[in-house]
Amino acid sequence: MRFDVIYLPPWVGLLALFLLCLLVCALVLEHYRERSRGRAAELKALALLKQWLSPAQLAQYNIHGHFEVTGCHSGKRYRIRQTPQMNVDELDERGARTVTWCFGPEGKLPIGDVMLAQKIALENDEQAALAVANRGNPHQTTLRFA
Amino acid sequence: MAKQIVMDATGDTRHEFDPADAAAVAEALARFKALTGAGFTAAVRRGAGTSELIRDFDPAAEETVFFSRLRGG
Repeated sequence: MRFDVIYLPPWVGLLALFLLCLLVCALVLEHYRERSRGRAAELKALALLKQWLSPAQLAQYNIHGHFEVTGCHSGKRYRIRQTPQMNVDELDERGARTVTWCFGPEGKLPIGDVMLAQKIALENDEQAALAVANRGNPHQTTLRFA
Repeated sequence: MAKQIVMDATGDTRHEFDPADAAAVAEALARFKALTGAGFTAAVRRGAGTSELIRDFDPAAEETVFFSRLRGG
């Protein structure tokens, strides 16, 4: 087998290098733009959530990063945590977690929007919310709460 | 001004309208019907921390939030 070596003028290599640099710069720029957009969405959603919380829930959220709601049908208390999944804890009378629930609106939404939708659903139509929710093992996570 | 807030990937999209403006109210009603028809839930803020789900358009509601159909995560 025989290979032919093709010699290219030096400017071709420089042009390829330049284009590669341009591509890398565009990718890095787009990555940071996307991150910035995501951060802005998170902040906007959290601001909306705070407007809809009761004073007691807002105080809880500001201190602990979670808040409690009361289910409209059962009267049970639920803790809504600021985590993307399995973030709704059903609590017993001592405040201990008995069940963890996972549900939220369809689509890709910032966590603040998800938490607000969960609050509205549990406070106004608890049974419908739990009917679609996935039930998790309350002992699966190792989070601690104040 | 009344406000319709539709949750989306940007946080939300807001539509403000004057409840005294018949054309604006008609537009808001059409938006309400389109969203709820597509499975969105509509809730209005009633007081400090309290809300109510609505199935019919309420032109007097100051703030209505819409979120897409709930599903298990």
